[in-house]
Amino acid sequence: MSYLSISNVSKIFGGVVAVEDFNLEVEKGEFISFLGPSGCGKTTTLRMIAGFELPTSGEVVLDSENITYKSPNERNVGMVFQSYALFPNMTVAQNIGFGLQVRKTPADEIQTTVKEMLGLIHLEKHAEKYPYQLSGGQQQRVALARALAINPRVLLLDEPLSALDAKIRVELRQEIRRIQQKMGITTIYVTHDQEEALSLSNRIVVMSQGRMEQVGTPSEIYNHPTTEFVASFVGQLNLLPVSEVDLKNGVCKLNGQLVRFDHSEPRQISDKPRLAIRPEEFQFGQAEGRNLIQGHVEVVMFLGAVVRLRVRIGEVLVSVDLFNERNMTLPRVGDEAVVNFPPHACWIM
Amino acid sequence: MSSNPISNSVNTKRDAPQARPALSAWRDWLGVIPFFLFVFLFIALPSFRLLIGSFQDSDGQFTLKNFADLMDPSILGAYWVTIRISLTTALGGGLLGFLMAYAVTVGGLPRWVRSALLTFSGVASNFAGVPLAFAFITTLGRIGMVTVFLKLLGIDLYDKGFSLYSFWGLSLTYMYFQFPLMVLTITPALDGLRREWREAAENLGATSFQYWTRVALPILTPAILGTMILLFGNAFGAYATALSLTGGFINLITILIGSQIKGDVLHNVGLGYALALGMVVVMGVMMTIYYFLRRRSERWLKQ
Repeated sequence: MSYLSISNVSKIFGGVVAVEDFNLEVEKGEFISFLGPSGCGKTTTLRMIAGFELPTSGEVVLDSENITYKSPNERNVGMVFQSYALFPNMTVAQNIGFGLQVRKTPADEIQTTVKEMLGLIHLEKHAEKYPYQLSGGQQQRVALARALAINPRVLLLDEPLSALDAKIRVELRQEIRRIQQKMGITTIYVTHDQEEALSLSNRIVVMSQGRMEQVGTPSEIYNHPTTEFVASFVGQLNLLPVSEVDLKNGVCKLNGQLVRFDHSEPRQISDKPRLAIRPEEFQFGQAEGRNLIQGHVEVVMFLGAVVRLRVRIGEVLVSVDLFNERNMTLPRVGDEAVVNFPPHACWIM
Repeated sequence: MSSNPISNSVNTKRDAPQARPALSAWRDWLGVIPFFLFVFLFIALPSFRLLIGSFQDSDGQFTLKNFADLMDPSILGAYWVTIRISLTTALGGGLLGFLMAYAVTVGGLPRWVRSALLTFSGVASNFAGVPLAFAFITTLGRIGMVTVFLKLLGIDLYDKGFSLYSFWGLSLTYMYFQFPLMVLTITPALDGLRREWREAAENLGATSFQYWTRVALPILTPAILGTMILLFGNAFGAYATALSLTGGFINLITILIGSQIKGDVLHNVGLGYALALGMVVVMGVMMTIYYFLRRRSERWLKQ
């Protein structure tokens, strides 16, 4: 049996289904992200693991112990909140030591752990400061240390970086991963930021409208999405209407032009089949053995590392990302464009 | 961007906002002129008159006798009973008000109970003086409704030692306007307790008692202290309720001042002023204690 097992868990709030039939097996030391838009049920699921919400049905088993109906203070599960939730009346050291203090841990042991945690988050010099004297990033690091100080069985992080600015977010996300790997702690991370989920996780659970859409490694989620929601929520995706789809031979027509697609995985297609392809799969110009389509450049956006184009192919606008090169000549609006892409990079939905 | 520092400097000056004309600044103060006028006419001037008057005898001559008279045992007793009644009702009303505010904020009672309690508190906190005394006499007086009803049930309150016209009777009456004031002032503070603090504490293993004693109450302490001093002052300065209820049977300092200033028998305006100055000193001492307690309890607040 896995270390953390969430079986058939559902949560209904006054007739509204927040989480529906959630099943997940987590191995010890794994870093799992719950990824999805606001209101998809990811935080509710996390709160059910923490004990702040009781499941309407199903059970949560942690380390062979059924904790479904245990109160939060008996679970030994650490949680980091989006808003830090540091106690404003306590110093950094007191905040970190709080969990040990309420457990009646000997004072010298508390002192040692607090010191160790302060070292872990590189805030040794701030031990006697109050939360209001710290920046947002520092406060969140203290919140992380506070959650880790009690040596929790699982670490839960509820959108811990969303209140921080972009640069701090990237720094702290690396910090979280470093600490998680160092301590080998099983971690569940809730986020709506795909970049966070992709860069941090061993596995990602993509959720939508209370349901699990797909569970997989970051690469599986990005490269082999199983549903249209996952494909369009994680990364950019072109969905281009096609006709005369031949699933057996992997060919269809896009605006009258013949296109080959990946048909190695069995897929169900809708009444209105569309060709799915990510913008970064395109290249400019002609190339042997690749699909070619012709159109006109309608929009050019220079984004630094990437140049994003919108190319009109008949009635359809296709998003094309080109990696920027120093000597690259940027296409101009109105230019005729021939773009190519490999057959294995596109599929029918 | 220009590379010429001189031209830059000139541009900066040209772009800088111009100083506001003096007339406009004066206009901003117009709205608060009535406030300052009231403060001057009804706080500053009377206080000054009180200070001067307390050093004057009935002929207007300088004297220290009024202050010497404050040491009279009956006057010291009046101060003591007033302080006791103020402390009792501040603590009692404060506790009752806190518990009620707790019940309607974090206690999970339905929303309509909160609205009802806050509306009642808004009215009751201002319901004092003759109407309040009359209300209590008709309910808990010797032949008040509740007293008679309890008597029918075999419980004689007055036989058991209760009297509305005693220290505890007056305290009970004061509580009627004290606890609603606590409800009104502490409810926003309780609303300010963030759910995440409680959840974080629970998540770290704290019991509800540990959360309240180590997190919530320390956070609320500055607000509680502020409200308690307000309740103390509210009771300390009460006059009409006590006079209407006890008719001077309880020797409160405010009643004593009234009889010294407008009474026919004890008329001594100078002593009345000195008594009032004594009240200012007592409140000053209370405010100083409050100030130090508050400073200790809010070290963690952003200065």
